[in-house]
Amino acid sequence: MKTRKWLNVMWLLVLVAMVISACAPAATPVASQPTQAPAPTQPPAPTQPPAPTQAPAATQPPAATQPPAATKAPVATLEVTAQGKKILHVAYSAEIDVLNAFTSQNLTDPEVTMIEGLIMSNDKNQYIPVLAKEIPTYANGGAVKRPDGKVDMTWHLQEGVKWQDGVEFTSKDVCFTWNYIVGEPQVYNQDQYLNIESCKEVDKYTVLFTWKTPYAPYNTLFEALLPEHLLGKMTPTEITNYEPYNRSPLGTGPFKFAEWKPGEYIRVVKNPDYWRGPQYPMLDEIVFNFIPDNNTRLNAMKSKEYDLGIGFQANQVKDLKAIDGYSVSLVNSNAFTQFGTSIKSAKGKLLFSDPNVRKAMYYAIDREAIAKDLMEGTVTVATTQIAPFSPYYNPNTTIYNFDPEKAKQMLDAAGWKVGSDGIRVKDGQRFSFTILNRAGRNDRIAIAQVIQAQLKDVGIEVLMDTKESAAWTGQWRTGNWEAIVGGWFISGDPSITNLYSCKGANNMTGYCDPKADDAMNASDQALDFKDRKPLMDQVQALLADDAPDLPIYFNVLPVSYSNKLQNFKGSGTNLGSFWNSYEWDLTQ
Amino acid sequence: MGHYVVRRLFQMIPLLIGISIIMFALIQAAPGGPEAMFFESGRFINPKVVESYRHRLGLDQPVPIQYFKWLEAALTGDFGLSFSTTRPVSDMILERLPATLELMLTAFIFAALIAIPLGIYSAVRQYSLFDYFGTGCSFLGIAMPVFWFGLILQLIFSVKLGWLPTSGRETVGDATFLDQIKHLILPAIVLSLLYIAGWSRYMRSSLLSVIHKEFMVTARAKGLGERDVIWTHAVKNGLIPVISVMALDLAGLFSGAVITETIFAWPGIGRLFIQSTFSRDYPLMMGILMIGSFMVIFFNLIADLVYGWLDPRITYS
Repeated sequence: MKTRKWLNVMWLLVLVAMVISACAPAATPVASQPTQAPAPTQPPAPTQPPAPTQAPAATQPPAATQPPAATKAPVATLEVTAQGKKILHVAYSAEIDVLNAFTSQNLTDPEVTMIEGLIMSNDKNQYIPVLAKEIPTYANGGAVKRPDGKVDMTWHLQEGVKWQDGVEFTSKDVCFTWNYIVGEPQVYNQDQYLNIESCKEVDKYTVLFTWKTPYAPYNTLFEALLPEHLLGKMTPTEITNYEPYNRSPLGTGPFKFAEWKPGEYIRVVKNPDYWRGPQYPMLDEIVFNFIPDNNTRLNAMKSKEYDLGIGFQANQVKDLKAIDGYSVSLVNSNAFTQFGTSIKSAKGKLLFSDPNVRKAMYYAIDREAIAKDLMEGTVTVATTQIAPFSPYYNPNTTIYNFDPEKAKQMLDAAGWKVGSDGIRVKDGQRFSFTILNRAGRNDRIAIAQVIQAQLKDVGIEVLMDTKESAAWTGQWRTGNWEAIVGGWFISGDPSITNLYSCKGANNMTGYCDPKADDAMNASDQALDFKDRKPLMDQVQALLADDAPDLPIYFNVLPVSYSNKLQNFKGSGTNLGSFWNSYEWDLTQ
Repeated sequence: MGHYVVRRLFQMIPLLIGISIIMFALIQAAPGGPEAMFFESGRFINPKVVESYRHRLGLDQPVPIQYFKWLEAALTGDFGLSFSTTRPVSDMILERLPATLELMLTAFIFAALIAIPLGIYSAVRQYSLFDYFGTGCSFLGIAMPVFWFGLILQLIFSVKLGWLPTSGRETVGDATFLDQIKHLILPAIVLSLLYIAGWSRYMRSSLLSVIHKEFMVTARAKGLGERDVIWTHAVKNGLIPVISVMALDLAGLFSGAVITETIFAWPGIGRLFIQSTFSRDYPLMMGILMIGSFMVIFFNLIADLVYGWLDPRITYS
């Protein structure tokens, strides 16, 4: 009797558990998400990249004219196992928010495989035309300066390009995209597009932009385009919040959207009508698996579960290189890490207003050691804000080579004398400040610790304050901090006006030098390399002399890839390394 | 009894509203805002973009007004749109539920099957070698950092031995039932370890407190076999506090496990929550927290009911 009651208790437990699991919709492990899948409609045509002899285009009927949102077919996971398919499994970092290139806050590689723009950046961090035949310049006659100072820029588009639903891509789509951007204040770099006064559809394949003033980084814009025939009737805000596009976008790229399983993966499949020719893309599918933890991703690469892994840190390169059958791509990026001070805070103003004091600190910091020891020699030491591998780099600026003796002399000369506790003092003020660290960025915190130790050697006390990332960002934006170890990801174009001009939108340190302002503004208006280069040289020289911050190194974005993956080239810009995914291939 | 349950259910409403006020205030009081995501990528961002974003989300309004707007919608079952994905919060939570329950229930059942016998055996053989061993293992389990243990298991079973996948819920393109089981094993073990360690300690100490009671002597004096004495008299009484602890832990089923899910790239609610916290996705945070709070209150009620059912001396009216 009593044993039965005890049994009842166990039953109750099981029952409770079952009721709970029943409450969940589709608690079955093989939950096939109701994702839009154009994939199943794929014609039986060539599953293997066809031999070049095959007649182009003729083999493929246009993939029906439905928008991607219309077909709701459950994706049978078994279908993917069909033999002979070349599926690239990617160990991707954290999950992305939306697939709209203009409103996503992530640098979205999945999006780059599906959506193309007028331009893209390549493995040399240069901009190359994609849906445009060439990038207009003064030299090729595409850009013309008008007597009133405005610039006409004519873009000739690729002909015969089709959106993945079969509708032709034309100049209408380009002007529509521009209209969306200038009408949507949430586009992160909208201000760059606002320099364009008008967009004119000259004919189906020609677009004419009129710029209010010459704007040198023009070739970094329109890295994505929106389909007018799908979104044309919506307001910009409606487009931004339009879930079907955000979750399953339509592009002209080599791959089409297939499936997005929240928290797990995004799957894209081959676009059989890709405009570059029937031999492209060479892969049948790419699966981006979201693995947020860096160490887990490293383990996943070690156990060879994936063909490609991205989002690693410089200090994981050694482990990645040790994986048999895999290579590591170490393309230098335009992302630079700097040690910055802010004169917007009261203490920062007191300590760092004197440029000689800032310079003295920089002489006390050993950048070579940080690059070599902390970052294991994978990164490139910075001497200016422009990367040494950029054609705009100026090697002839003041360089703050590690020299603690010089640092001490300069601090003495500036009136900071060593006090009784070993810390320098001037007018009763101790030379002590706080570096604001961002939790989770262990690479930067490690650099801050090196700086702390090295500055201590010259009599400067550094304290640490580590904050959670959103809290850090909140404080950092106000400029109300004394010092940080931060970083910026500049595009393939070297314009840094935004960062260092007096009114620069991202100048948070209070640095202001009218001379540098003039040089930066002039450089932004010089479209020709030969005009722009001397101006950029001047900008770098002025910044090195003013010393608003100390550029430490240019980062690498290590990518681990299987040796089976062919034609992977990598890239160091903010547009990522999937720019040539159409020619990637997997060998057995 | 029925009357009691109804009353308790009604009491939940003001409690939940109170909780929501505190949560809302706390979330808003945290430094930084959803615009932090803009700077995550290191790109240049114009402050005007941030302003217009905050305006669109309604964050430029006073917090009480934001709260009442949220409450008004929430009372009709609408938890709003996520800031970062522009999708309905309820959709985002619901689609994570199957994976969350799959992992949590597996760990829960596995832990119960091990912890209870372990605790009983340790108590019955108090100060035996097995007891010391069990106690040592429990403390190790409680003290071991989850993220470290998870990575070590990955290194052993995935990298070195190649038996199990490191992370994820399935191999895309090859998601057989066996494949899914394989993906479940490591996170379930890591997660259940904590439960096993805790519950077996409860079971042991609660049984020990019973085992020397007078009714046990009586039972033995009646001539009952040792097996009957332990199972019908000791275990049943010793189980009462353990069951209520387990019932409370059940509330966590719906909240997921933040660290385990992140380490194993498991698509559960815990990971969604940590993601929403870092991006200050207020509606999503509120949605997950409210569900979690409801579950805690609800399972408190369940625990009370189970308690009364197990122990006839306790009655509710």
